[in-house]
Order: sequence, then structure tokens, then C-alpha cells
Amino acid sequence: MNRFVWTLCLIAIATCAAACDEKLSSIAGPTPNLHPTFASVQAEVFEKTDPAGRAACTNCHTSTGRNPSGGMNLNHDVAYDNLVNVPARGRPGAIRVIPGDPENSYIVHKIEGRSDIAGRRMPFSGPPYLTDGQILIIKRWIAIGAPRN
Amino acid sequence: MNSLTRLPLVVCAAILVAAAPAAAQSDDDAALKLGEPDFTVIGLPTSLRMPAFKSAFRVTHRFTRPLDCETCSNSLAGDAFGIDQGALIGLEMRFGIVPNGQVGVLRTGDKTVELFAQYGIARQRGAMPVEASLLAALDSTNVGQRGEPSHFSPLLGIILTRLIADRAALYVEPMWINNTNQLPKELVDHNNTFIVGVGARVRIRPTVYLVAEAAPRAAGYKPGITQGSFGIEKRAGGHMFQLNFSNAFGTALSQIARGGLKEQLSNGSSKTNWYMGFNITRKFF
Repeated sequence: MNRFVWTLCLIAIATCAAACDEKLSSIAGPTPNLHPTFASVQAEVFEKTDPAGRAACTNCHTSTGRNPSGGMNLNHDVAYDNLVNVPARGRPGAIRVIPGDPENSYIVHKIEGRSDIAGRRMPFSGPPYLTDGQILIIKRWIAIGAPRN
Repeated sequence: MNSLTRLPLVVCAAILVAAAPAAAQSDDDAALKLGEPDFTVIGLPTSLRMPAFKSAFRVTHRFTRPLDCETCSNSLAGDAFGIDQGALIGLEMRFGIVPNGQVGVLRTGDKTVELFAQYGIARQRGAMPVEASLLAALDSTNVGQRGEPSHFSPLLGIILTRLIADRAALYVEPMWINNTNQLPKELVDHNNTFIVGVGARVRIRPTVYLVAEAAPRAAGYKPGITQGSFGIEKRAGGHMFQLNFSNAFGTALSQIARGGLKEQLSNGSSKTNWYMGFNITRKFF
């Protein structure tokens, strides 16, 4: 087999390698534009009711016309400062978002509906809840340090 | 550095210091090579070349009952060493398309399909201390599975074989496998795996061999444990019958790169399980 054929093989492999990675949108379910960034989580999860019917967080966690549920305001300009390294009001000792530690971040416990949460699984009006893929993306944002990006 | 990670270094050193004279390699690929009689060690490929327009068939079988099973209701003998339980089965066909070049397909029972191509680029002779082959492959998961997307893992590698007379063969096989992690790359730290497969085959009787291999993950995505296997095999004409023991079920290369899982025990600890299996190869030449 000559070099030309092997070059073709390498090009084919390289092309395939570039194309083979799973698309993030394939697991993001009803929010195909969701990425593991704070801006994206804010826009696609906190502020948007998605096509599957999962309610926007800011329906309740807002200071617009009401007191934010659980004392957590997810309005655009203050959401980050209400989440990251902030103690949860419902469960003493819990931190809403611990940068780099999604498994111990209380927001993850709440959206996954773990047994240790105070009150109900979020969103309050669920189901539908966030899909596994959506939760995975949020956990990734936390795992990479919960940057304000 | 754990023992399996050190293995490539040990095997490389063994190759370099191998005192036995190199086997005089024939260009007749249809002739039996006593030191390298099969196209695979256990799961890892060898440098054995397929004669043009000839073929070979292989069955892989990995019983899924652990040899040391705490949750099984019957004894190991009572379950016939795993034969009574399920198994991950693979069927492989390879064909020599050109001199020194072969292509093949492996389909395993978990709906993984591996398409591969291998080309021998150097023979062990004169100043060349090893046999060398280039390997390219594409593994696809969930092939034929309704409602589940397939994941594709292309692979590039080189197989280096040091033949020690007609007695033994040592293997070092660096490979890069893309997309071993089946999550989108935005969600993972590593999406690819670089393995350095090592293996050995030793002829202990005229037609009986001992084989062993491991596939340490040198870099990238490396979940679970490094896959390792050992076995004994008997050559009978164009057949090779191999009984093997592995700590994971992988036979396709992307499966081997993903390694195996430790069993989580109820007391919170974990242990490595070993499984019995077999390979049967038939050469049609």
C-alpha cells in the first residue's frame, strides 16, 4: 500500500476524530443551547421555561413583585452572588454552590431531589424536572469552578 | 506509578536486552510463525501479517460471572466456572487485501463494531530489531440499538513485536483512541485515551503457549481499572484455542481502553473481579 493511501486513511481518521465527539446539544434535551457556563445556565435554566414544560427558576426565585423563595434571588444581575459560596437557608450547613464540588453543592441536591433536601425537589412545580443531561451540564459548570462567565 | 503502569517500561527493557537471537523472518506470510502464531495476543493485536486474499475468523467469549463471586447463589464449580451465566461474545473476520495489509471487523455482543486496518511496515531482520505494523480502527457502540445513539472512537496505533527465536514474542503497542469518553468534550476533562498495550506469548510446548497482556492508560481518560489478561493456548493446525482470564470483558480496542470496573461491596470497599473466557481462531490458509 503506498503512501497516498495511508495519507488518505490518516485524513479519514482525523476527519472522523473531529466529527465523532458527541455534541453537547445531544444531551441538553429541551435546552439545546445550554452550555456549562454561568451565562448559559442563567439564560437557559434560571430564566427560561423550556419547551418540555419545566418551569423557569425565576418564576419563584425573584425579587420582582415578591420575596424570592428560600431567600434565593436568581434575577439576572444578582443570581451569581446568591449562589456561589452562599449558605442555603433551608438546610443549615449546606452551601448552594461550592466551586469545584458539584456533589456537595446543595443546588445539585435540590434539582436532583436527593433524600437530604429540605422541602421539595426543584422546580417546585415539577415534574417535569431538569433532565439528567441538563443537570450534568450544570454540575460541569460547578466542577470547573463555577466561574462567573 | 502502579505495577500495571510500569509494565510498558519493563517490557521495553526486556525487548532491548533480549539476548536470544532474532528469528529469521520469512517473507512468506502463509508460513507458520512459531513465535507469533496468531493475530491477537488475547485482546491486543499482533504484527502477524495476513497473506493477500486470505482470511481468518475469531470467536471471543468472556463469561460475565466473576470467578470470586460473593453474591452468586452457587459455587464456582456449581456454575461451571461461569459457563452457566451470560457472556460477552465477539465474532471477528479479517482479510488480507494487499500484501502486508489486512482489514477486518469485530462485532461484540454489547453492540460494538470495530472496523480495523493493519499494515506491516517493517520486518525483524538485520538492523531492524522488531516487527512493526500500523493500525487504524474505528469502534462504534450501540450499532443496531434502537433509540440509542452510536458513539464513534477512531484509533491510531503502532504494534511493535520482538520475536525471540521461535520461542516467544514480546509486544509494545502504543495507541491513541479518540472519544473514549462518551460524554461531550465540554463536560469532561479528558475525551481521548493513550494506551501502551504490552503483551507476551511464550511457547512452552511445541504447540502450547502462555500469553499475557495489559493495556495501561498512559494519559487521558482512564476510568476504572487497567485491563489485564493471561491465558494458555493450544495450536492445532489452523486453529488456536485459548483459555484466558481477564479483569474486564473488553475485546474491542476502545473497550480495552476504557478498562474494567471494580465491584463495590456492601461494606464500602471494592475488589477487582476476574473472569474466565476463551478465544478460538481459525486461519483459512
